[in-house]
This record gives sequence, C-alpha cells and structure tokens, in this order.
Amino acid sequence: MVRLGLCRPECICSNEVPTVMSITDARPESATDATAASAAPAAVSGSLLGSGDHKAIGLVYMVLSLLFGAVAFVAFLLGNLHLVQDSFLSGSAADTLLSASELGFVLLVAIPLFIGLATYITPLQVGSAAIAFPRAAALALWTWILSSGLFIIANCVDGGIGGSREQAVDLGLLSIVGLVLALMLATVCVLTTVIALRSPGMSLDRLPVFSWSMFVAGSVWMLTLPVLVANVVLIYVDHHYGRPSEFGVSSVQGIQIGWVISQPQIYAYAIPVFGIAADIIATLSGRRQPNRSAMLVAIGAFGALSVGAYAQPYFFPEVRDQIVWAAMGVLIILPVLAMLGGWAALLRGGKPALRSPLPLALVSVVLVLLAVVAGALAALTPLELRETPYVALGQLALIIAAVLTSGVAGLIYWAPKFGGHRAPEPVGLLGVLVMLGGGVLAGLPLIVLGFSTKFTALSDAADLLQYVALAGDALLALGAVLGLLALVSSFRGEAADSDAWGTGQTLEWMCSSPPAAGDFAELVTVTSAEPLLDAAAGSQEA
Amino acid sequence: MAATHALPAAPPVQRPRVLVVGTAFVSAATIMTFVGLIGIYLTQRAAIISAGDTWLPKGVTIPLQQPNTMLFTLLMSVVTMQWAVHSIANNDRLNTYLALSMTLVFGFATVVMTWYLYTLMSLDISASSQAVLTYTITGLHLMLLVGAMLFIGLMAFRAFAGSFDARQHDGITAAALFWYALVAVYVLIWITIYVTK
Repeated sequence: MVRLGLCRPECICSNEVPTVMSITDARPESATDATAASAAPAAVSGSLLGSGDHKAIGLVYMVLSLLFGAVAFVAFLLGNLHLVQDSFLSGSAADTLLSASELGFVLLVAIPLFIGLATYITPLQVGSAAIAFPRAAALALWTWILSSGLFIIANCVDGGIGGSREQAVDLGLLSIVGLVLALMLATVCVLTTVIALRSPGMSLDRLPVFSWSMFVAGSVWMLTLPVLVANVVLIYVDHHYGRPSEFGVSSVQGIQIGWVISQPQIYAYAIPVFGIAADIIATLSGRRQPNRSAMLVAIGAFGALSVGAYAQPYFFPEVRDQIVWAAMGVLIILPVLAMLGGWAALLRGGKPALRSPLPLALVSVVLVLLAVVAGALAALTPLELRETPYVALGQLALIIAAVLTSGVAGLIYWAPKFGGHRAPEPVGLLGVLVMLGGGVLAGLPLIVLGFSTKFTALSDAADLLQYVALAGDALLALGAVLGLLALVSSFRGEAADSDAWGTGQTLEWMCSSPPAAGDFAELVTVTSAEPLLDAAAGSQEA
Repeated sequence: MAATHALPAAPPVQRPRVLVVGTAFVSAATIMTFVGLIGIYLTQRAAIISAGDTWLPKGVTIPLQQPNTMLFTLLMSVVTMQWAVHSIANNDRLNTYLALSMTLVFGFATVVMTWYLYTLMSLDISASSQAVLTYTITGLHLMLLVGAMLFIGLMAFRAFAGSFDARQHDGITAAALFWYALVAVYVLIWITIYVTK
C-alpha cells in the first residue's frame, strides 16, 4: 500500500466535467474504479429528471421537504388557530388540516429531510462512488413525490385520515402507503451504502457519526414503518371492501395510527439530529471526539429506546400504563445527557470556531432534550399529563422543530458540498434565532398547558399560551424557508475549498466542492474515525 | 482556509454483497409488516374470545387441508430454492435452471391453492372484522409471494442470459433470502390463522 503525500484533491477525487447521469449507469459496486467514476456525471447542474446520481436525488428531497415543512407548519397553525378561535374554519377543515399536518411532519418533512441529507452525504462520508441501488433511489424519490402530491390532493378534497368523501379517503390511504414504501426504499439504499460500500478500513465504529446515526435511524424506521403500512392497509381494506366494520370507520382511523406521532416513536425521527450535531461540533472544534465509541453507543441506545410500533393504544388500551413504556420514556433522557456531556468535554478542551452550524446544532439537541424531558414527565402517571393532548402536541412541535433546526444546520455545514460555496453566515445566524425562538415558543407553552389538570390557573391562560405556540409555528415555517435560502445561496458566492472549514475530519471533506462525478476516483484506506486529521498529522510529520 | 488532504490508496477490493444486504433489509421490513398485522389479529381474537364469543362468526369454516398443502408446497420450495443457490455456487447451470423453475411451479401452486381456499371459505369480507383481518393478512402475503416469484423469474432470466457464476451469484441468493422470509411468514400465518382459528 502506498502512502501518498499531500496533494490537491484532484489526485483523489474525480473532477470530470459534470454531465447528465442516466439511471442505467454502472452499479455502485463496480463504479468505484476510476473509469466508472469518470464516466459518471453530474451533480447539480444536470437534469434532475431521471437522474440516479445521489447528489441530485438528495437535493430534490431536501428542497421539497423544506417546502413541505413551511406549508405543514402553516397548516398546523391554521388548524390550531381554529381551536383557539372557534368558527375560524369549518370543523372538518380544521380536523383535516391538523391530521394532514401532523402526519405530513413525519412523512413529508422529517424523514425525507434526513433521507435527502443522507442520500447526498453518506456515500461521500463512507468513500463510495455512488449510493447503493441508484435506480431504486430514483424510484423511491419519484414515488415519494407522486405520493406526496396524492396525499395533498386527497386532503384538499376531504379525503384525509377520517375524511368524509369515501373515494378520496381511499386515495389518501393509498398515498400514505406509497409515501411509506418510498421512504423505506430510500432508507434501504442508505443503509446498504453504509453497510456494504464503505472504504477499506472503515469498520462500523469508524463510521462518521452522521452515517452511524442514519444507520441507527434507518434500522429503527425499517422495523417500525412497516407496522404503519400494516395499520393503513388494514384501514384501507376495511374502508374499501368492508362495510366498514371496525378499522375503516372514520372516527377511529386517526387513533389507530396515532402512535406514529406519539412517544416513543416520535423520537425515532430525531435520531440523525445527534449525528449531524456530532459531526458539526467535532469539525468546528478541530479536535477528535473523546470517548467516541460511547457517543455511538448513546445514539444506538437512543434509537433502541425510540422503537414505538408496539405502543398502539387503540389495540392495547393499557399499553401506556405498562412499565416498559414508562421506563423507555424516562430512560431515553440518559443517552441525550451522555451525548451532551461528550460534546461539553470536546468544546471545553478546544477553541471552537463560532460559525452558525455550531449553535444551530446545539439548539437542535436542546430541543430534543426538552421533548424527552416532557416525555419523561408524561410517563409519570401521578402528574396526569396524559389527560390532555397538550403535552403530546408540544412534544411533536419540539421534535419537528429539532429536526428542522438540525436539517438547516446540516444544510449550512455541508453547503460547500451542495453548491460549491459556503452559505452566508447572516442566514445561519438568523436561523439560530428563528429556530430557537420557534421551537421553544411552539412547544413549551403546550407542555406547560399540559399541567392545567393540576393547576387550574393555567386553564385561564390557555388561550394566551396557545397564541404563543401559534407564533412559534409561524417562526418555524419561516425557519424552513431560511433553510431553503441557505441551500440556494450555496450555489453562489466565493468558491469553497474541498475542506471548506479547514478542520474537516471525514472523507466528504476530501472531495472537491461540490463533489465531481463519481465522487471518489480512487478508493482510500482509512485507519481511524478521523482520516483527514490523520492525513494532516502525517503531512506535518513529513 | 485552503486545506487539502490525501490518504493512502486502497488495494482493489471485493465489494460486499450489496444486493443481498439490501434484500435482507427488505425481508426484515416484510416480516415486521406481518408481525404488526398478526399482532393486531391476535389481540382482536383474544378480545372476542375473552368476551365469551367464538373468533370465527357462526357458519364460517376455514378448511385445513388446503393450508396444509400450501405449507408443504412452500417447504418443498425452500428446498428447491436452496438447491438453486447451491447449484449456481458450483457453476452447475442446468440444475440451477431446473431448481428455479421448480420453485416457480411451487409458488404458482400456492397462489392457485390460496385462491381455491378463498372460494371454499364462506367468509364475507364486508360482514365482519375477522374477515377483514383474514383477507388482509393472507391477501398481502399472496401479493408479496407473486412479487417474490417475479424476483425469482427475473433472476432466472438473467441466469439464462449468462449472468451469475460460482463467484458472483448475489441475485439468486437475494431472491432466495426474500423467498425464505415469505415462507417463514406463511408458517406464522398457518399457525395463527389456519390452525388455531
């Protein structure tokens, strides 16, 4: 094995002129050699339609999920405004807005946003020339887009969950199945990339933390989302072919799939938050993460404690009184605290660069912490926080806010890899304020309102607290737009270096910005979790 | 700050079995779908029985002969599928073709038998939640079985066209993995739906 000296990234990364990629291009396992890499194509500038290039696919996911995020928060705001100002909308319209936005947060915003980031970044992080199954990744993207359109249309014509137009309800149910299947297929592509297309020497414990977090998150999604498919198929069969007899009855449709937006399952969508935060904090601190293995274990533990497909109160009414559910709700705080401790140790020992991704990443983790603390309180029966839906709604708002914040942090952090330029710092700093304010305002008032069963004075302030939460929803919609702005702005400005932050640790910072076709013209061997720090240290010694 | 890095180039590597890994994840998701459905089935069944009623509505019978035949047909298909994997791993193409064809025949027989069973069961889907659950679980399994047969058929065509050899036969191994998962699911269905009723 030859150890190369310092050279320009062109030595390692292919810098061919981008062209359009067909989805019939070489299989990823064979595309790692230089010929395949140079024959492959275009990232961003080429046509997106029909592309099997992971960069193009990832970008489409990110743009659309942020767009859907802004729309979903506006819909959520309008639905909740109806609850405060009765008669603002018709009752069925408000119900549709709320159910569509709550499910949309998961299937149109949270999972696709992380799938988009992972589809783009994970192959770069593990040193692969492409994502596994590029055609399947393209199929998943377009199925998701088509199903998203059907989901929105079905809800617009009173066909959402619990809607009253029968054919439209069928369409809505089928669109949910399509969305979940598409996201699972995309997840398979990401998981297989992480498992099977890693560079030599990159054992699982040397995976970049974001890739590891996607491995954990994807595994949890693959174990739980099929259960959602089972629920929805059952509802569909009963609704379409039955009288309906039980499952397809409008009033219980939403209850059957309510577990998807309740704890502990709600935490499963936030697992990659920790991976993004870990990569950002390590890079901007310029140091190796101490006790890195413990961080990976903590992310794995968080994932294991967020498996929630069993907690279906419609079929198991007493499930939330059981010790397992309560224990999971309380214990999940521990991995979050462990990770915060690890990052505190990292930041304390160095001089971190105060760039906007750093506070954004910290804000996202704090929002998750608030959500899990609220969940732990809700798990304690004497507090009676489950008597009203406020705490669950507050948790949902906090988790989705954390996901959006983390997504925006990732977009700004990896912006040079997307568009070739760093995102403007003012956009990031504004994002910090908006996401922190939006997340806290949207979630905390609802959680405080959950205590109204114990403190009756809170009931008097219910309207005020809900108005504050609505203001938070509006800020979060603005935050999604800011994320889009950060992404778009990465295509303009001063060209960034391959290692745009100057302290990159993982393989994506070895590629040119944006990565050229085929990403890696030549496989590299890694010998630690921070291969770029190794290379920098090696060159200094030389 | 400009920073560039280089790492030692790796020797040519034998990529892991990408298709097998991907199929393993799909198989796991498939099994979880049925775990979810059968969990609901068992819960509903337990609730009805504990209320002092019988699970199947009066006048409804589900014969056991056809499900038993399907079980043994699918178990035989596991043998033929493994025979195909073993044959291609030894570059024995003739036996591979024969084994894949037999697996497809067994699969087709199972589909026909399930259809026949549906005609024998006096179970009206619009009459009860029991019927909805039964048809949803068995129907979804039937759909996936047809999908798996298409997968096997596609791999068989690729084998006929010269793909796969002793060194690289991921396609057939992956199809076999998915097939085994569906047979395992059928065993679960056989016990919960057809035997215990």
